[in-house]
Amino acid sequence: MIKKITIFSLLMMLILCVPVYAGAPMTTVESTVNKVLDVLRDPKLKDPSAKKAKAEKLRVIYKEMFDEIEFSKRTLQRNWTKFTPDQRKEFVGLFEQVLEKAYLDKILEYSNEKIVFHKETMAADDKAEIQSKIVTSSKEIPIYYRMILKDGKWKVYDVVVENVSLVQNYRTQFSDILASGTPEKLLESLRKKVNTQ
Amino acid sequence: MRHCISLIILFLMISAGVTPIHSQAAGTQQALEKYSSVQQAAPANAGSLPVQSSEKTGVTENDPYADEQNLDYDDDPFAEARVTIADPIEPLNRISYLVNDRLYYWAIKPAASVYKWIIPEPARISVKRFYLNAKFPIRFINCLLQADLSGAGIEFGRFTINTIWGIGGLLDPAAGGEIKLAEQDTDFGQTLGMYGVGHGFYIMWPVLGPSSPRDSVDIAGEYFLDPLSYIGPWYTGIGIRPFKIINNASLVIGEYESLQAAALDPYVAIRDAYAQYRAKAIKARKARSLIFKDDGAGDSPDSPSTVKE
Repeated sequence: MIKKITIFSLLMMLILCVPVYAGAPMTTVESTVNKVLDVLRDPKLKDPSAKKAKAEKLRVIYKEMFDEIEFSKRTLQRNWTKFTPDQRKEFVGLFEQVLEKAYLDKILEYSNEKIVFHKETMAADDKAEIQSKIVTSSKEIPIYYRMILKDGKWKVYDVVVENVSLVQNYRTQFSDILASGTPEKLLESLRKKVNTQ
Repeated sequence: MRHCISLIILFLMISAGVTPIHSQAAGTQQALEKYSSVQQAAPANAGSLPVQSSEKTGVTENDPYADEQNLDYDDDPFAEARVTIADPIEPLNRISYLVNDRLYYWAIKPAASVYKWIIPEPARISVKRFYLNAKFPIRFINCLLQADLSGAGIEFGRFTINTIWGIGGLLDPAAGGEIKLAEQDTDFGQTLGMYGVGHGFYIMWPVLGPSSPRDSVDIAGEYFLDPLSYIGPWYTGIGIRPFKIINNASLVIGEYESLQAAALDPYVAIRDAYAQYRAKAIKARKARSLIFKDDGAGDSPDSPSTVKE
């Protein structure tokens, strides 16, 4: 009996330890960014006509990198509860499209700037911040990734560019709209944004 | 004896569940205060971490869109005091924002694009450096006012090296190679912020852009301390400044456009970015100062205008 308990508790210990060592967040981001760079540098995709194929390949990579639901919840905060489950789904989808359309062109413009990952801060077992910078000919742009551990995977839930947190920036915009309008109004302006982009 | 072993193992199990909290409490730096207060408030959240997380994942797997208790996210160790800036004159500000928007698309961008097409990038970077080097007195004085002696020393060294070996500041030898003296990002608004002066409210100046009553002192400060103001008769300054704007714009064409593309309300997006950027700049300067250390109260230096939501 005691032997069983011993084995059981040893096994439990091992299992309980797993989430802590799920993989360093820095390596996760770094390898994702390197995958993105591989696609961008791919000589087969150099042709402007291959832009769509490139975008498609990139989508697969960054879908894996970001936690879009966490991102959405954090921008809406308590306003999340004002949305019906259907509205929430639509919101996450639309918000993702807005971000994708806004930043994809920026990423596709990439022309061999150096990207350096230099610091990892673990603030909790499931929260980490990775500091990186893009070095261009005229300046350095600091980019920090804030990550959360979910289901054994490190996912990005906020990106801080030049000291400005994207989540907070959208939070201010959304709460400005929601202060005077309904969730439907916010969804409507998101739809409009997606269509005009 | 066997009981002893199982007791030890039980103890190990418990400590395995608890140690991460200890180590993180010891390991974290700035986030510590906020995080520990959250721990006290919700011990169940942190204490039985593994069980909790497996429960949580169970929920998220079922329905990630479900209601959640903790939607304030004050457990986020990276969340700084949320910075906002009051905007009582929003209608006026929105008008100047529109003016600046038109100015950019109708004048600055076309001029900068042509200029960019004619002048190669290294030359444009040199021109930018020249103007930056000329603003050395502002950075030097503010480093001193902020009690950042090493910063003042770095600025003085940079100015000397870049003026003499960098051909009057056209090149930046001080930043490269083995010298590695980085430019100190300081101004009078920051200094006042460190002294405890709040933003007041948001002002969108025509042409000059986002500011506040506090940060507007830099307009005067720049005029009197920028050597460009003393070159020849007063009207040469008027001739030089737009050139500076166009030169610097030629290096960042497209940034404003992508901000607009990403924002639902670009006016609010810029206002928020400005508030966040200034608050963090002041915090970073405080970390370097000998006297004006962050008191660790968690509140940002721009206290009158910051609100913890």
